[in-house]
Amino acid sequence: MAKKPNMGRQKIKIEKIEVKNHLQVTFSKRRSGLFKKASELCTLCGVEIAIIVFSPAGKVFSFGHPNVESIIDRFLARSTGPNSHDPFHLVEAQRNASVRELNLQLGQILNEVEVERKRGENLDNMRKTNESHYWWEAPVSKLGLEELEQLRDAMEELKKNVSQHANKLMNPSSMFVSNGAGGIFDQSRVNLVREL
Amino acid sequence: MTRKKVKLAFITNDSARKATFKKRKKGLMKKVGELSTLCGIDACAVVYSPYDSQPEVWPDCRGAHRVLAQFKRMPEMEQSKKMVNQESFIRHRISKAADQLKKLNKDNREKEITHLMYQCLTGKGLQGLGVAELNDMGWLLDQNLKDICKRIEGLKKATVEAPGNGAEEKPAPLVLDGAMQRAAPPQQWFTEWMGNSGDNQQGLGVRLGMAEQVAAAVAAAAAAAGRR
Repeated sequence: MAKKPNMGRQKIKIEKIEVKNHLQVTFSKRRSGLFKKASELCTLCGVEIAIIVFSPAGKVFSFGHPNVESIIDRFLARSTGPNSHDPFHLVEAQRNASVRELNLQLGQILNEVEVERKRGENLDNMRKTNESHYWWEAPVSKLGLEELEQLRDAMEELKKNVSQHANKLMNPSSMFVSNGAGGIFDQSRVNLVREL
Repeated sequence: MTRKKVKLAFITNDSARKATFKKRKKGLMKKVGELSTLCGIDACAVVYSPYDSQPEVWPDCRGAHRVLAQFKRMPEMEQSKKMVNQESFIRHRISKAADQLKKLNKDNREKEITHLMYQCLTGKGLQGLGVAELNDMGWLLDQNLKDICKRIEGLKKATVEAPGNGAEEKPAPLVLDGAMQRAAPPQQWFTEWMGNSGDNQQGLGVRLGMAEQVAAAVAAAAAAAGRR
């Protein structure tokens, strides 16, 4: 089933949401989006961030780069300037390298997703066009009894042929091409074996 | 909101990076505020950058201290349960994207095989197809046949239960369904075509272009009608 189209961008008033369900859904989506933005900001600009968010249910979500605790400690201790006490530059360099790798991977896979999504859209459009031209491509619920019976018969016939064809292809004798000089799996020998 | 796609990598151009930082930091703070207001929850954000000696804080210093104190009061396990850093967060994003990709692949494959199936139903040969496609098409045919048979059952039951139909179940070519009347010409040519290819070994493997088929069938149907 194709992804259902969502409601798109709706302008919303910034005030407490009344409907509990909407509130929970909104929290979930926006929290996720917020962390995504924070992650991007860290990657693009090389800055250090911590975000703490309490859920409507009282659970706490947090995002931090390089990690939540160090940012909190730094903030609470009010030490000025970045990287004031970091003896572990090597560890940090290593971490940054793996983050770089991960971002590359993420970028790649997001591209692939986009490609597949577009492919799906094209296939949907093609199906839509066909549905309006050919009655047998319409959804089953829209067909009448005789049409359904004909379609069923045609499909059962096709199914038979498909099975036959598939069996032919999977039959070993067709997989080993004779090498002419009577190799081990020479066609004629296999045929002989079959006859026995 | 600009529409160009941004690469997920450190911006090497200093001025571009600074400009991006200013914009995105502003946006981020706005989003934290909106989340807090919309959902009536407590939150805070702390941003350290090379552009400022002091961290940028939301909502403000006091508010942030309050939230952080609240955070620290929670048991260690609760704190870390939903805690993420860049690495874990990006890994999670990759995993979600991978799942999405898998699903899209599966859906697209089904759409492709459906299209192929309809082509084969109307005359495309099975010669060029590989085992995978044949197997998938077989599966799809089973799925469709299940639905069709179910619906046929349902319609037949309705036919039997309809008043004045008698005890027998006639094939009922013109019963009940308005949809059939609409489809009368096409269903006739489908039957004609089926009859024509009955003696062909491959059954539906006749390679006729769509247009030719329609023309041939319409002619056959007209002839049949003429004979009647």
